[in-house]
Amino acid sequence: MRYIESALGRLKLASCVTVASGTFGLEYFRLRDAAGEPLLPQESLGAYVSKTITYEPKAGNPSPRLCETECGLLNSIGLQNPGLKGFLQNDLPVLKETLHIPLIVSFSGSSTDEFCEMITAMEPYQEIAGFEVNVSCPNVEKEGIAFGADPEVIHKLVSRLAAITDKELIVKLSPNVTDIAQMALAAQEAGASSLALINTLWGMAIDWKTGKAMLSKKVGGYSGRGVKPVALALVYKAAQVAKIPILAMGGIHTWQDALEFIYAGASAVAVGTANFIDPGAPVKIAKGLHDYCKANDIHIRDLIAKVK
Amino acid sequence: MITRELLKVVDVSIPAPQYVKLKLDAGKPMENLLPGMFYELRAPSQAGRLFKPISILDVEDGCLSFLIKVVGAGTQAFTQVKAGDGVEALGPLGNGFPGIEGRRVLLVSGGAGYPPLAWLKRESHQAEFCLHLHGCASADEVFPCDLIYTADGSRGSKGLVTDSVESLIIEHKIDLVLSCGPIPMLAKMADICKQVEHYVSMEAYMACGIGVCHGCAIPVDQSYKLVCKDGPVFEANRIRWSEL
Ligand SMILES: Cc1cc2nc3c(=O)[nH]c(=O)nc-3n(C[C@H](O)[C@H](O)[C@H](O)COP(=O)(O)OP(=O)(O)OC[C@H]3O[C@@H](n4cnc5c(N)ncnc54)[C@H](O)[C@@H]3O)c2cc1C
Ligand SMILES: Cc1cc2nc3c(=O)[nH]c(=O)nc-3n(C[C@H](O)[C@H](O)[C@H](O)COP(=O)(O)O)c2cc1C
Ligand code: FES
Repeated sequence: MRYIESALGRLKLASCVTVASGTFGLEYFRLRDAAGEPLLPQESLGAYVSKTITYEPKAGNPSPRLCETECGLLNSIGLQNPGLKGFLQNDLPVLKETLHIPLIVSFSGSSTDEFCEMITAMEPYQEIAGFEVNVSCPNVEKEGIAFGADPEVIHKLVSRLAAITDKELIVKLSPNVTDIAQMALAAQEAGASSLALINTLWGMAIDWKTGKAMLSKKVGGYSGRGVKPVALALVYKAAQVAKIPILAMGGIHTWQDALEFIYAGASAVAVGTANFIDPGAPVKIAKGLHDYCKANDIHIRDLIAKVK
Repeated sequence: MITRELLKVVDVSIPAPQYVKLKLDAGKPMENLLPGMFYELRAPSQAGRLFKPISILDVEDGCLSFLIKVVGAGTQAFTQVKAGDGVEALGPLGNGFPGIEGRRVLLVSGGAGYPPLAWLKRESHQAEFCLHLHGCASADEVFPCDLIYTADGSRGSKGLVTDSVESLIIEHKIDLVLSCGPIPMLAKMADICKQVEHYVSMEAYMACGIGVCHGCAIPVDQSYKLVCKDGPVFEANRIRWSEL
């Protein structure tokens, strides 16, 4: 994987391909192909990003929580998770035992103090290589996007978190803002060591026959193929102003998609919705990028932000 | 072990209008499968779309059979499949129904909920007593069973499959009810069968099928459970029906 090694701030990645929070789990490593071999060897991934946890456990939103549309997926999971305590007690030991790639823990809080308390509690764990601060979930009221839509709020929050952690600190931004550059700059100035974008876009689907909204929450988060051009533009805009590396996601299904994000300014990419459609996608993407770079005798880093 | 592979189509048939039956070569003997378990399947023309959860109808000689009702694009695509084609499959998934050995069982299916109960009925020699009721819209959707109910009265009894469940439970001293079908039917079953051990196979919109995305959650006990991983079979009285 020499051709596709990369880095996010303080974190070296053996592969520039990672997975997007909430769309991947250890279950994927247990899947087999027709010959009984692992479908998805961990080694092809640069890092494992876990599903966002919150301080208190969250039951999530009522069903239906999913709807596939013409060109993507709507979800309103509502950050269903076991809470910080449950995660540290039950999930982290399993992740520690299973993973031999860096673990990035995604988390979100309902107040600045809660975010700080969470990162303080997790900081001592050696098995955590970095944090992804989720200030961009569209499916919960108090957490998430309430923090990610105002540069001042981002700055205040990230400054406090940066003072607590020595690990990789990724701030995951929302596409549902007027000016992504302001958000990216705020996170960078406050001490984020890298940025992740994009989280899902607001989206909705209605059954015209009945007039019923397809999600119980009516509006949810839109991801998958249809969001790729939006994500590319936002990654490009953020990369124009930010000096810190960008972990890009949004509609990446093939290695060619991934390469486009590298050109737009990403140092690494994350595979999200594509995992559901093709459970082997991250491996194929990593292999495709590797083979392309090898065939052209270039390193992936030489293509970052080189859009013409 | 859950595998993701391309399974070769051995046989395709249209057993009823709006239904397609597929027989897929699993390439190996299939063990430890239970009625109620399912596969995530995808027809060749649906590349790039989500898989569709489909219950196992039958397993025999290394082949898996499925009975699929056409309701939208994903299921419609299975009608275009021909013998020799490859169908993408992820599975086997889910928990399956509890055993029926020595029990007095009532099997109740509605519409596309037929497959797991038809499989159980084929194993009914294990039970002390087993009666399979199937309900559907009209004679067009009728499949082999013991008692048939059609909404339009074109076959069997006119009415809903739930209509005589209460009296049949008493008449045949039923001690286990297993049901599968549309949610409103299952909710009605749960209401009728409160005093009897009752398991339902639930439906939910799925993305991953393996417990990762939390998209297929339904309200069970004090929280949400995942239909793909914790189910699809649940004890009926633990589901909070009013929230569905
Ligand atoms: C565990 C499990 C096992 C299943 N087993 C079977 C099976 O053995 N055979 C089978 O035919 N189906 C089965 N289903 C249902 C099947 O998965 C859905 O019908 C299918 O996903 C619909 O996909 P689609 O793309 O054709 O329709 P979509 O485009 O998803 O839906 C089209 C329209 O039909 C409605 N719709 C969706 N599902 C149903 C439904 N079940 N009945 C009526 N209307 C519906 C939608 O609300 C929408 O309006 C199972 C579901 C689950 C969760
Ligand atoms: C079902 C689902 C659950 C998600 N859960 C989370 C989450 O818990 N935390 C988070 O930061 N992003 C979450 N996301 C957003 C993804 O991580 C990603 O940012 C987004 O889907 C765009 O990438 P994609 O188009 O490749 O899916 C979720 C997305 C989906 C589809
Ligand atoms: S479908 Fe993803 S958790 Fe069940």
